Amino acid sequence: MPVATPVDLPVRWELSVLPDGTGQLALFGELDASSTPVAWRNLEAELAAARVSRLEVDVRQLVSDSAGLALLYYLSVGGMTPGVRVNITGLNPELQHLLRSFSKEDFQALQEHEPTCSLFVEDVGAATSSWLGDLRQQIAFIGEVTLAVAASLFRPRRMHWKEVFRVFEAAGVNALPVVSLLTFLVGMVIAFESAQPLAEFGAQVFVANLLGLVMSRELGPVMAAIMLAGRSGSSFAAELGTMKVNEELNALETMGLSPVQFLVIQRVVAGILLTPVLTVYAMYAGLLGGIPVLLGLGFPLRMVLQQIQTSLHFGDLAEGLSKSVVFGAIVAAVSCLRGLQTGEGPRAVGESTTRSVVSSILLIILADAIFASITYTLRK
Amino acid sequence: MNGATRNLIEVRDLTVGYGNRVVLEKINFGVRKGEVFAILGASGSGKSTLLKHLIGLYQPLQGDVRISGASLVQAEGEDRLRILRKFGVLYQSGALFGSLTTVENVRLPLDEFTELPEVAKDLIALSKLRLVGLESAATKLPADLSGGMQKRAGIARAIVMDPCLLFLDEPSAGLDPITSAGLDALIRELARGLGITFVMVTHELASIYSVADRAIVLDPQMRGIVAEGTPAWLRDHAPQPWVRHFLNRQVA
Repeated sequence: MPVATPVDLPVRWELSVLPDGTGQLALFGELDASSTPVAWRNLEAELAAARVSRLEVDVRQLVSDSAGLALLYYLSVGGMTPGVRVNITGLNPELQHLLRSFSKEDFQALQEHEPTCSLFVEDVGAATSSWLGDLRQQIAFIGEVTLAVAASLFRPRRMHWKEVFRVFEAAGVNALPVVSLLTFLVGMVIAFESAQPLAEFGAQVFVANLLGLVMSRELGPVMAAIMLAGRSGSSFAAELGTMKVNEELNALETMGLSPVQFLVIQRVVAGILLTPVLTVYAMYAGLLGGIPVLLGLGFPLRMVLQQIQTSLHFGDLAEGLSKSVVFGAIVAAVSCLRGLQTGEGPRAVGESTTRSVVSSILLIILADAIFASITYTLRK
Repeated sequence: MNGATRNLIEVRDLTVGYGNRVVLEKINFGVRKGEVFAILGASGSGKSTLLKHLIGLYQPLQGDVRISGASLVQAEGEDRLRILRKFGVLYQSGALFGSLTTVENVRLPLDEFTELPEVAKDLIALSKLRLVGLESAATKLPADLSGGMQKRAGIARAIVMDPCLLFLDEPSAGLDPITSAGLDALIRELARGLGITFVMVTHELASIYSVADRAIVLDPQMRGIVAEGTPAWLRDHAPQPWVRHFLNRQVA
């Protein structure tokens, strides 16, 4: 008894099973990417229920695209009727030619392909080796940049000052609004957070002293450097990385020009010069953020300014500024190094940018910790 | 049957450019079903700009591009998607996604636009890779493929949804002569075997003579088409001497 498909599809089929168990399947209509998914599911279910011992498929009245051919191929290799011999008839020569491009071997090879899993020990070894290689590159790069900066100081005319000013403007002047907002808010938060615990000791007025010291010694330089790393360091890395991908760095080298001399020095010098300026700006913006809180707590402006003045010494400002010079050099140099280390492929520039920000912030905090321990020892 | 209905692509009074700068002005041509059509011209003549308008990446300043009678310029939403699915594009670099394997790249349109079972998607993607001779590179990443292999994989991805039309942007650029000849043979096979219509922008004269049935030549001074015909006719009989020199690879 033939069973016709009840589904309202552009493709139809009739399946009948002879007494000897031979199934006869006739397909009509159009088997394309939109009709094949439903046809595939229904046909598979019907054939499983029919339990045929042999299958004859007639496709004389079938029009098919690649999706339909995939179904016919799957049917022909017994995918829907495991262990059953399937014979397809009526396929036109063009579709027969296309059907030959389907291969069970290719499919099995793809299924058997599994991503190679490396051993934990191998991973640790590879990571250590990569880290040591990176460290070596960083040390060599610091040496190369130091020599190049020193050489430029003796021959300032060889320096591309126009590029230094361009970077100075892009990374410094254009960063002022965001640095202002950030440090203003940080100053405000510090004042709010410190006001309550200090009030318990009747020392609320010392919020001004705390603010002055924290902004000049710590948060001014650190916030300015972090902003530089996030905003400009990433841009250095992306710019140099794109130049590497576009083979501009190779062009420089084959012209006998050093990428460090031509591209890195300008950015490092600009970083060293602009970070102290940004730091001073950040210190003032932080203080400006804290002052309204102190005014709100009832302290007169004259008193607040006097407290800041008495607690701050030249040494505090010098500490903050010396840190900022180091931070500026770190951010610019590390970001340029990450840009020059850019690999191949579309993700390489993005990876360099991320690495530049992460490395810069890590090194800023490390350098800050070293500074803190040195200055603590010196003050004792 | 008139010319408009015979042509798979119909370009009518098309003016293209960037902002106020007009690159090509009021050009008209048609591409017949099943032919390999080449767009030729010197550097800066607007070949790639024209191609980007034909595939709907840019909106023209004026005029219309009709594919199978439907306007690509005016279509929006689902109608536009329906037209876009009629053709595939091979970009100059192959434009494979670097994080996906070759077979995953080819499967991508099937994953996004069909609800076929996983096994069917794999079978179709592998069959297309076999058609372009890349079945052994299915699990490799694009970075591990040569330039020619990347272009073949790009073609496999472009034909995976069985388009009737394929646009090729400089298919032979950066390939050695043997790989380039192999790619030409593949284009011929796909055109004759599957009946796919090809529109290609190319500088490679060997490819033009080997695969193109018809070509147009763009002139940056005229901002339009200066000659149209078979490559051999253009080389020997084009009215403009510079077109003959161009196709004979001679300095004018």
